[in-house]
Amino acid sequence: MADALDPNVGPGPGSPGDRRIDRTGGHDGPQTPTRSPAPGEAVVRLDMPHAVALGERVDAELATLGPRSVAIALLTYNNAATAKVVAEAVAAGVERHLDGATAVILNADAGSSDGTAHAVTSTALPVVRIEHPTPLAERLTVPFHGVPGRGDALAAVFTAAHRLGARALVIVEADVVSIRDEWIARLAQPVLAGKADLVNGAYARHRYEGTITNLIVAPLIRMLYGRRLHQPFAGHQAYSARLVEHILVQPRWGGFRRDVTDLWMFGTAVADGFAVWEAWLGPRVVRSTARSNDLPTMVAQTLGAIFGVMHTHEDLWLAVRGSEPVPDVGTAAKLGVDPARVDVARMLDGFRLGVRDLLPIWEHVLAPDTLGDVLGLDAGDGTRFRFPNDLWARVVYDFALGFHYDVVHRDHLLRSLVPLYLGRTAAFVLEAEPRSADATEALLDEVAVAFERQKPYLAERWR
Amino acid sequence: MSQDWYKDAIFYEVHVKAFFDADGNGVGDFAGLTASLDYVKELGVDCLWILPMYPSPLRDDGYDIADFRGIHPDYGTVEDFQKFLDGAHARGMRVIADLVMNHTSDQHPWFQASRTDPTGPYGDWYVWSDTDQRYRDARVIFIDTEKSNWSWDPVRKQYYWHRFFSHQPDLNWDNPAVRTAVLDVMRFWLDRGLDGFRCDAVPYLIEREGTNCENLPESHDILKVFRRVIDDEYGGDRILLAEANQWPEDVRPYFGDGDEFHMAFHFPLMPRLYMAVRREDRLPITDIFTHTPAIPPACQWCLFLRNHDELTLEMVTNEERDYMYYAYASDPQMKLNLGIRRRLAPLMDNDRRRVELLNALLLTLPGSPIIYYGDEIGMGDNVYLGDRNGVRTPMQWSSNRNADFSTTDSARLYLPVVNDPVYGHQAVNVATQSRQPSSLLNTMKRMIAVRKQSGAFGRGTIEFLRPRNGTVLAFIRRFEDDAILVVANLSERSQPVELDLRAHQGATPVELLGETRFPPVGDTPYFLSLGPHGYYWFRLERRDRGPVRYGIEETAV
Repeated sequence: MADALDPNVGPGPGSPGDRRIDRTGGHDGPQTPTRSPAPGEAVVRLDMPHAVALGERVDAELATLGPRSVAIALLTYNNAATAKVVAEAVAAGVERHLDGATAVILNADAGSSDGTAHAVTSTALPVVRIEHPTPLAERLTVPFHGVPGRGDALAAVFTAAHRLGARALVIVEADVVSIRDEWIARLAQPVLAGKADLVNGAYARHRYEGTITNLIVAPLIRMLYGRRLHQPFAGHQAYSARLVEHILVQPRWGGFRRDVTDLWMFGTAVADGFAVWEAWLGPRVVRSTARSNDLPTMVAQTLGAIFGVMHTHEDLWLAVRGSEPVPDVGTAAKLGVDPARVDVARMLDGFRLGVRDLLPIWEHVLAPDTLGDVLGLDAGDGTRFRFPNDLWARVVYDFALGFHYDVVHRDHLLRSLVPLYLGRTAAFVLEAEPRSADATEALLDEVAVAFERQKPYLAERWR
Repeated sequence: MSQDWYKDAIFYEVHVKAFFDADGNGVGDFAGLTASLDYVKELGVDCLWILPMYPSPLRDDGYDIADFRGIHPDYGTVEDFQKFLDGAHARGMRVIADLVMNHTSDQHPWFQASRTDPTGPYGDWYVWSDTDQRYRDARVIFIDTEKSNWSWDPVRKQYYWHRFFSHQPDLNWDNPAVRTAVLDVMRFWLDRGLDGFRCDAVPYLIEREGTNCENLPESHDILKVFRRVIDDEYGGDRILLAEANQWPEDVRPYFGDGDEFHMAFHFPLMPRLYMAVRREDRLPITDIFTHTPAIPPACQWCLFLRNHDELTLEMVTNEERDYMYYAYASDPQMKLNLGIRRRLAPLMDNDRRRVELLNALLLTLPGSPIIYYGDEIGMGDNVYLGDRNGVRTPMQWSSNRNADFSTTDSARLYLPVVNDPVYGHQAVNVATQSRQPSSLLNTMKRMIAVRKQSGAFGRGTIEFLRPRNGTVLAFIRRFEDDAILVVANLSERSQPVELDLRAHQGATPVELLGETRFPPVGDTPYFLSLGPHGYYWFRLERRDRGPVRYGIEETAV
């Protein structure tokens, strides 16, 4: 309590207002601005506006547990079928790889009704179950990440981890059944070793997996923050104690709890000089009946998240030039190139339908030259269709600008990008199909390079 | 593009003189209209309807045409018109123009020749009589200004027939030469690329003794010939829109068997929309659709909230008219003929929620909507300008002098800009609303954009639901696989409603303006609550109608 009232405990060099960009990727982030709470300290600090009330039961359980060096947050929503396997992998990971660690599972649940709680409690590690609020809209259409109210879940586990004095907080998805015990090590060790403040997962994927990520999200993040993160929306992450504390005191987080939480935290970490790493984890196999796999919804959620943080972090990204890789742990996996069943013809149909039906919206969103170039794309020949990278970058930037200036209802705007994304994806598949894994990787890099090259186009129009 | 494009189209009615004055003489012109096309396009308009543009003495705002093949010099030249037309086409918009078929100006050379040379080639082009006692069963339409449909011509020393003003003599459509001449006029403009005509006052072409001289079979015969010729000569995508201010069952014959007019105004609906909102009762709306006959598949109703004329109350009962006067025309200056000369926003007391609600109904009821210029920003009127001029004032582009409509001296404007504190251009203008995401203008853009997402709005059937709460209007529009549920609270108070949606059990209502998914429909009444004058547009997304799959969804992020 005394900390909150102590005038001598003020923002440190890494606090808001002291933004700097960690261009080396090394651990030259800010010094811890405030002291961490005493292990197990079960109080809500007055200077942490986003530390949430966890309820008497949780408070008591945390107090009983005492200090923990590692907190592993298992975010669940109707994951009874998979949570046990995942929780056991977590426990195995702690036992085999985090020697001497005192760990706890923080099971943040979004209101499961299928017995998920029971599945999680039957593990070797102590479990604290925390229920968090969930927006109705996200229960009706569960977001792509599978957890309604993920932002609230993160706020809850951040609060709990902070109270337990955890040096590392690892976030784990409860429906990713391909998790291996070494994942916990790769995520937590850079943090525990004091090298990283945020470790983002990266999975081994087939080249046609993650098309939203590869063709839009990763290039955008690279352009915005100057960091070549492979999979910005990876569900597995690890946070250092000081980044947890830093975020809990961030005055802006309250407005970014929903949807945009992960990106906002990443951006904040970069902006405020924390060390960001990437951990190669292996294949990611999801078993979920809850996650939305409706493309328009996924595009709207992911792009809405990025466009949302662009406004918040404009003073940062407008100043960023170029990009660099982030330090990583584990072995980077090559893209899978096995034959895959993707329906290019149907994607091109979707693109043509968009040209036919969405022109009135695109006319509001796209600059005349961009629109003219898009309409000039020849989707007639289904085998030779191409979508130039620089045009694609301008399309995405026009949508970002349209979102920024609110030219059309934002959800309509985001969803109207889908046919264009389908066209770009179709072109990517057609181009990548005869190529090797490395050549496909190079193709994707060219997309990201075009986003960087076209950045002045965006910056000049952003006011 | 499909030949029946008009079924999905958003129409925009505009005065050339009122939109933008490019040459700074105080009167809007085609050059100004051309310069404003991007604005109209951004609104979501598919087709502009241009009010009379022809040379005219302007004693009836251009509906007194003195030369069918020219452009009024205040508005520019035929070349200016061509540039405008080409500009609209280049933006994917179409243009239709008013054409007065029933009569001309008394200044038209045809009439001048007819009155001075009764035995000459034009002698029989108008309806002349030695007595004013013929066709006595025909009503006088402009009762405020005309006492009879006959007027004495001191030159020819005969009476001439006019259903409208005495300076607008009716053409004699029994004369084949008149038919040929008017058809040639149509060809003149269609050859230039015009996409069709809004044909003024078509019920009155032919006169017969012992009838009310309206809607006569002979008139339909003539119109069918015109339609056939235009279809044959211009490929079938030029349209004819009928102005027939009649009850729906009397308008129905103007569609023929799909071989007469493509479209016709639904006049009786418009006052009933206002009545329903004022009475907070859906009955006036559901009732008029009960009395609206089916029309041929290729035809379409034109719906409107307001237009360049008074809010006409011809198509209501006397009791209903009294109610409308009581409700919407508290100042006697607001009344004109059998109507109310006010714009949409003032009629709604500038209540944004009611204005939006009425537009929401306009865009969802069966038919193609017509937006009257300026109503998309909630322009006001000036009832003291005489005749219907109060609703024909300059477009309000900004808060600058003359609302940026013209650079001329304010005194030279064809009509003064609305300048009162509530509706004046300082408060209501395009520039301001363009910058406000929640402005009426941007809301209209959003609603129009959403309407374009489903063919059900323009082409679907309508089924009215009958919830117990009579202040709530609810209906379902269906087209092919698409089902759109529209729910509107006609009341100024919040209302609950339970809808019988059992036929859609399992469907998920997706609110179209926000893309918000509502709880699925079950086997119990579907409960909704609506704020004051609130409304919902839902797509009823069927459970068995999954999204198209591309093979990338499972791992797209």
